[in-house]
Amino acid sequence: MRVDTTEVGDARRRVEQLLTELPRDGQEQLSFAQPWELRAFAVAVAAHQNGLYDWSEFQLALIGAIREWEDSQRSRDEPWRYYDRWLEALESLLSGTGTLDGSELEHRAHTILTTPRDTDHHHARRDPVAVDPAH
Amino acid sequence: MTRSEITPSPAVTVPRSEAEIAARMKALEALMIEKGIMTTEAVDRLADIYENEVGPQLGAAVVAKAWTDPEFKARLLANATEACAEMGIGGLQGEDMVAVENTDTVHNVIVCTLCSCYPWPVLGLPPNWYKQPAYRSRIVREPRTMLREEFGHDVPDSMEVRVWDSSAELRYMVLPQRPANTEGKSAAELAELVTRDAMIGVAPVRA
Repeated sequence: MRVDTTEVGDARRRVEQLLTELPRDGQEQLSFAQPWELRAFAVAVAAHQNGLYDWSEFQLALIGAIREWEDSQRSRDEPWRYYDRWLEALESLLSGTGTLDGSELEHRAHTILTTPRDTDHHHARRDPVAVDPAH
Repeated sequence: MTRSEITPSPAVTVPRSEAEIAARMKALEALMIEKGIMTTEAVDRLADIYENEVGPQLGAAVVAKAWTDPEFKARLLANATEACAEMGIGGLQGEDMVAVENTDTVHNVIVCTLCSCYPWPVLGLPPNWYKQPAYRSRIVREPRTMLREEFGHDVPDSMEVRVWDSSAELRYMVLPQRPANTEGKSAAELAELVTRDAMIGVAPVRA
């Protein structure tokens, strides 16, 4: 069989590899690989329970996000991560209902990323953090 | 509404680091809570339920009851959603469940080819490998080979393998065969033998 050395052939082989190699060790046995994935799951269910969308709408958005990723260049460059697709589906539904503003989300995420985790814990606090004065 | 209007941001085409995506999720949750769409307590409670309370031990109890109570088994195979409700088991992604029975001649295995539909109330949330493109495509193309090569589950050629595609409308679970030499065991003891993988159909139940 001729080895296809073109870029397209190479890409095709990589997608084929993604579709045939099934890692099942360690984290693959878990439902959630990272803490944020459990939050993403719970927020999506909470939004549904609070009437923002039918669960079937969420499932359709998820199917769409997965299909789009599988059909795109990204499936050749990025590792498969299910909850990335889940978060995309959640964002698109919440944006579609007007509940979420994309730029507001970007801004908030940036703030979180650029705020050092232990902002308040680097210094010894030698004074009371709050005082309720005597009357 | 067009697709471009609901696409959250152009940054979505760039792979994000784990830290970036974790921050994005944290931001999303914070905004929803600030807008009064949901409360931290509600999100915490849901996370706890699906991480710790809903799991394959519930499905295992259903299987063990079916093994020990023929009338319940008949009801389970006729209408799994109603039969599970008898045991107080039900909820999101469990509205329409079907139990497919393994026999001496038929082995069943479940998949969701499009995403990850799965009967949450009886099996909990699916493991990561169930959501992998590799599982979703190959189990349909060559189930017998995949069961043998990936799961070490050798289904004899004399048996038929049926692959059931769960969807948003209908979710399957496998009712595995009761292992031999378990006649003296109680339903509670039997339930301990039933694994998540057995109810997905990628492993047998061993006594």
